[in-house]
Amino acid sequence: MEKENNDKLKIGIYELTGCAGDALLILDCEKELVDIFNAADIQSFLMAKSDNIDEELDIALVEGSVSTEREKEELLDIRKRAKTVVAIGICSCFGGIQAAFLDQKEWEKNFKKIYGDTKMTHTKPVQSKPIDAYIKVDYYLPGCPIEKEQFLSTFNRILRGNPPELYRFPVCVECKWNENDCLLNKDIPCLGPITRAGCGSICINHNLPCVGCWGLVEEANLTSEFQLLQEKGFDYDFIKKKMANFSGTGIADFLGNLKGDKK
Amino acid sequence: MRVIKLNKENLFPFLEVISEKADLWAPVKKGDKHVFKVVDDFSKVELSTTRTILPPRKIFLPPTFSMFNISEKGYEEDFSHVTKKILFGIHPCDIHGLLTLDNFFKQDYLDPYYLEARKNTLILGLSCWPDEYCFAKSTNTHIIEEGFDLFFTDLKDFFLVWIGSSQGDDLIRLKPEFFDENLTDTDIQTYIRWQTERDKAYKWGINFNALPDLIELKYRDSLWEKLGDACLACGSCTNVCPTCNCYNIMDKQFLGGKDGKMIRYWDACTLEEYSEIAGGENFRKKRADRLKLWYTHKLQAYISKYGKPSCVGCGRCIVTCPVDINVRTVGKALLGEKEDAFWLRFNKEVTK
Amino acid sequence: MKRISVEHLARVEGSGGISATIDGNVVTDVKFSIYEGPRLVERLTVGKTPEEVVNIVPRICAICSISHKYAALRAMENALSIKVPSKVSLLRELMHLGEMIESHSLHIYYLALPDYAGFPNVIAMASKFELEVKIALEMKEFANHIMKTASGRYIHGENPVIGGFGKFPAREELLWIKSRAIQFMPFVLKTVSLFCELDYPDCPEEDTVYACCHPYQNKYGLAGDEIILSTGEILNKDDYKSLTNEFVVSHSYAKHSRYKEKPFSVGALARVNNLGERLKGEAGKMYKKYFNRRWKRNPLFNNAAQALEILYAFERIPKVVEKMLKLSDPAIVKYNTKEAKGTGIIEAPRGLLVHSYEISDGLVSYTDIITPTAQNAEDIERYCSIAAQKLLDAGEEDKIKDRMDLVVRAYDPCISCSAHMAEVKKAPAEDWKTKLAEIKKKASPIFVGVGKRDRSDDGAGIELALKLKKLGVSDVYLESELVDYKIPWKYKGSRPLIFFDAVNFREAPGKVTFLPLSYIMNNTRLSHKFLPFISMQMKYKHLKNAYMLGIQPESIEEGTKISPPVHQAIIKVLKEIKN
Repeated sequence: MEKENNDKLKIGIYELTGCAGDALLILDCEKELVDIFNAADIQSFLMAKSDNIDEELDIALVEGSVSTEREKEELLDIRKRAKTVVAIGICSCFGGIQAAFLDQKEWEKNFKKIYGDTKMTHTKPVQSKPIDAYIKVDYYLPGCPIEKEQFLSTFNRILRGNPPELYRFPVCVECKWNENDCLLNKDIPCLGPITRAGCGSICINHNLPCVGCWGLVEEANLTSEFQLLQEKGFDYDFIKKKMANFSGTGIADFLGNLKGDKK
Repeated sequence: MRVIKLNKENLFPFLEVISEKADLWAPVKKGDKHVFKVVDDFSKVELSTTRTILPPRKIFLPPTFSMFNISEKGYEEDFSHVTKKILFGIHPCDIHGLLTLDNFFKQDYLDPYYLEARKNTLILGLSCWPDEYCFAKSTNTHIIEEGFDLFFTDLKDFFLVWIGSSQGDDLIRLKPEFFDENLTDTDIQTYIRWQTERDKAYKWGINFNALPDLIELKYRDSLWEKLGDACLACGSCTNVCPTCNCYNIMDKQFLGGKDGKMIRYWDACTLEEYSEIAGGENFRKKRADRLKLWYTHKLQAYISKYGKPSCVGCGRCIVTCPVDINVRTVGKALLGEKEDAFWLRFNKEVTK
Repeated sequence: MKRISVEHLARVEGSGGISATIDGNVVTDVKFSIYEGPRLVERLTVGKTPEEVVNIVPRICAICSISHKYAALRAMENALSIKVPSKVSLLRELMHLGEMIESHSLHIYYLALPDYAGFPNVIAMASKFELEVKIALEMKEFANHIMKTASGRYIHGENPVIGGFGKFPAREELLWIKSRAIQFMPFVLKTVSLFCELDYPDCPEEDTVYACCHPYQNKYGLAGDEIILSTGEILNKDDYKSLTNEFVVSHSYAKHSRYKEKPFSVGALARVNNLGERLKGEAGKMYKKYFNRRWKRNPLFNNAAQALEILYAFERIPKVVEKMLKLSDPAIVKYNTKEAKGTGIIEAPRGLLVHSYEISDGLVSYTDIITPTAQNAEDIERYCSIAAQKLLDAGEEDKIKDRMDLVVRAYDPCISCSAHMAEVKKAPAEDWKTKLAEIKKKASPIFVGVGKRDRSDDGAGIELALKLKKLGVSDVYLESELVDYKIPWKYKGSRPLIFFDAVNFREAPGKVTFLPLSYIMNNTRLSHKFLPFISMQMKYKHLKNAYMLGIQPESIEEGTKISPPVHQAIIKVLKEIKN
């Protein structure tokens, strides 16, 4: 049933700090799982197999943010071994929820609140960052988690040496395709206009506002979204926090330069 | 054109009879708005709607569909979106929208995906009553003389039915007993009264004749920058416009030697990627430039070619754009008329 | 000395490892480490609205995302005094049953069965279990479908919100789920037999305490407002801290938990052990057929318990759907409360999950989340050390690594909960010196010499203590100075407690070993004298700071002469302590 492994591309799927949702989503491709294992030589995929080997790779898919020194070393090693590195999921692409403490001091303060003064013996913690803070990333496949069809198509494209083809517009486009009534127009704080598409506007399809879990779209007009929400009566700090929930390091510049915080 | 009469209570039975051979699409409720949907339960059909969220072009070219399937053997065209359809409840402005799309998809290169779907869809128009966002009278698209198979004018107790094509006539012949060929003078009077009242119901308008010149005169106006600053680049204005027709394609490849697909999806010139070419160069990187393109197209370029704007006055951009960038506010700003809009209040800096 | 470690535990969800250090014939160290970095999720929630927090917290773990969502909703709704209509509770139960089936089937078929069938992964296993793998995949897909229908997405669906749902599934969708659930029953019954009849090794086998939610109305279930323990105790959800007692350990970013100073276990096995009698229908029949006393002592039976729970879920789904179909879709319940606090508990697939929040001025001001894996971490270490020591004693050192792997995986640790890896390490020569130095660095130890001076080398511990006393080292005691084996009053757990004794490790005479005292418990041959200390006198958390410095005797014949190798060992130890 299985093809000889010699003529297949060598793939490694790695998980750094995150919810493991992207790796799980790959396992959730029940119908296609055999095809995935047939199409490529999956050398390492901790969640799915135990005979993992860490050698030269054609493609490494990396999930999760870098949150410890050990992960940093592991990532640098992956980069050295892999011809192509693909960041999968929002944590790997942008840092995810855990990258919301943008300020180093604030992160340290909060770390101490949870772990106290215990000195970690196994690995040193570092402030969570997306993987491109440490290595060159060839392709990004965002999502929280990644979307099944987009993953399968992208995986196959990469196997054939083609770059991924992803939607580069905001959730609003998919939302309109799904013929939803705009929630912003109903004064509901929806982050659709600043969030990248690919999820299929799932929340708005359920009458719920977009929470921004796929991260910022390339051309997010944050100033306009911010003011629009302010006009609708939402509080400055509320908007700031809401925008930062999932955007990771992507929103650092915008929030850092907000005039409203400067006297 | 032959005009006949249909009693109100015979409408749904008629729709039921004609929908046996085709899918009947009609406006139904979605939240507090309306959408076109395939109906089997006729009690759900809404007769007094204004505009649907998406224009009827979605029935001919769905937002995403497969153009062809690709396998190792080659490719095979996919026309699975083309089925026998009857579109009931489409208003005059939206029929004008389809006529505009016909112009696009018939010029130079025929688009089989649109034209095949169009050929297989019967258009059953329905009269409407304007709300505060409609301005079809300004674009002269509140009345319709072509582009339908049947047109129903709702006169409260009965419909006057215009038969616009032989296919429309064939439908009538399926149930001739529902219709009355003889119109009374009272019926005609009722119609004239209705039309006068309806025309009066348009509360505002835009002088579209002045706009082509103004767009040229104000091509470098700071107005465009202002619009660009506030624009969310969400593509909604384009997606809800009944005359927008741009699309992009994307191949979806599948694993393990399985077939792939070439997907065609609605694109929008208001989106950043639209004007990007290979190598990453972008002709219209700025939102202001993209908006200028959209409005030039709608309000100037199309007029110079076809003598009418490619705006049909449906009001969808007005109800949809969260930052009030729409034909009304932009048109009025070009005309120098006072308007209130989020983009006019917009400040480049976020303050507390 | 060597270290067996499964660096990167494969086929578990998340990233962590288990390691055992072997010094000669003794397992001196077992650590369940979580390498996943700290995410500070509890702190991320501070200052956010309850709605936003309900969006964020399920991101703790993809595989339990629905349980996290459910627990967060229950906690918030308890705090905000929201009573949800019964259709909301039913759809939440449906999505939760979906997650239970998805998670359990992923675990038993994808992750656990390859171990017992001898394959590295499920795809390779398909060559032998083609039909099982195919239908198991279909079952998992169906469970994913249920979750998607109810929550909006396979993972991290946002449809469940405080006070209800954004949208309810259509009648046809529910009817499809019901009929499909019924179709799966023959395979589900086969699944239960397959996993209940697997040949689970009898090592490790040891008693522990089991904890789970106490369902309503004396039924089997996955939610409740109380916690029931295998000891018979029942705790109110608001008193969860008396059970969980989280504390930080230096080798993991997942905190650990103990109940009344003892490790405890949660999960499917805990539920079946505590509530199995309540199972009805086919699940009840299967429970009667397969349940036996080993289930209460052997964590590997968690696989069997999960299979049984899949059956429970499949029997429950049609009933939930039936009830839902009779009810109309309710609107989301609104609230106005700005100041509140509340706790919600739920059974995640891997066990008891606690969410607790405080809300101040409409924003979350405090969050406490206790995940099942954090609660299981102590028992995982304990069972692994028991297994490692037993296998070492039986001369089956080569099996340690795989067995620890098996134990960890049986717990189905959702490591990303906080936190992949088994490792067996040989300790370097004279490893005791390094360890002793590390302990001395933290705080000055209290020493207790143990042994019998009239049985030659058995007097080594006493001899060592006396010599220390003579050198003026403070806080040194003799066994005879302790009344009823009472721990010296100065010992409050903050200072390490080090026992000296001659211990037969079957090593060359004079060899010194240093290991946590608790490991003596896992090695019955060594435990004679210390059982009273451990079981009667010492709090478990203090036990973790108590050690044994053992010297291999040459002879314990009657007599008072200490053999030369043991004598030299005493001198070496003296020197190290003095340094």
